[in-house]
Amino acid sequence: MITLGNYLALSGIIFSIGLIGVMTSRNVLKVLLSLELLLAASNLSFVAFSKFNGDYDGQLIVFFVILVAAAEVAIGLAIVVLMYRRLSTIQADELRTMKW
Amino acid sequence: MSPYFFYIFAAILIFASLCVVMARNPLYNVLSLVVAIFSLSCLFVLLEAYFVGMILLLVYAGAVLVFFLFVVMCLNLNTIALTSAQQGHFRWLGGMVGLMFALTFALATKSFIKAQTMDPSSIRGTIETIGKILFTDYLLPFELTSFLLLIAIFGIVSLAQGALSTGKDVENS
Repeated sequence: MITLGNYLALSGIIFSIGLIGVMTSRNVLKVLLSLELLLAASNLSFVAFSKFNGDYDGQLIVFFVILVAAAEVAIGLAIVVLMYRRLSTIQADELRTMKW
Repeated sequence: MSPYFFYIFAAILIFASLCVVMARNPLYNVLSLVVAIFSLSCLFVLLEAYFVGMILLLVYAGAVLVFFLFVVMCLNLNTIALTSAQQGHFRWLGGMVGLMFALTFALATKSFIKAQTMDPSSIRGTIETIGKILFTDYLLPFELTSFLLLIAIFGIVSLAQGALSTGKDVENS
């Protein structure tokens, strides 16, 4: 029998992996990818809560999260491409100035 | 039947997300995120959230990750540039913070006794049910997301235009 606890535990594991990825990687692309993992983990717990509470709201929130994540990724990748053109690197440490 | 599927897809999901964080080659990072998203949408189907699972496949695996792949190929990064020399001294600190979070989360989930005994309800997130709620209760947020996407498009276009003009400057000078 799969309970809500199993889904929450899985979501926590994925979230922790994503968090470690965000914290440890210097590469901006990798940070964006790990952010996707964080969003995926929270989506999983939303859907699990929705199923076990008998309420559709969780699934709708996941729908909106996916929409916002798509916009976020588009902007983020545009900034990464710009950064690569200016600095010819995508290491986050190289972003030292506030104004280009 | 269902428990085995849960454990299979959970194992694939954990393994793929470890690959996302660990793999050296950026292409492998992106492709293992595709695998992770696929198994996540399988888990959504196990939870009978069909609509959200399908949207996740279409939008994430279909659009967002292709965009990622496009950028990775466009930047033409070699592996050395990515994993370059100074793999910082704060790296272990980040790892510690992540592990601390995992520990806290494990304790929280364990103490949440109700989660262990709750029975799954019989709701099914089909397109019909989700669509009905989306166009009645959630109509305003749904329409507002179109503005969000519009603003995102404006942002990208203005960023790209700035890049083009400065690129010309660099060529001229």
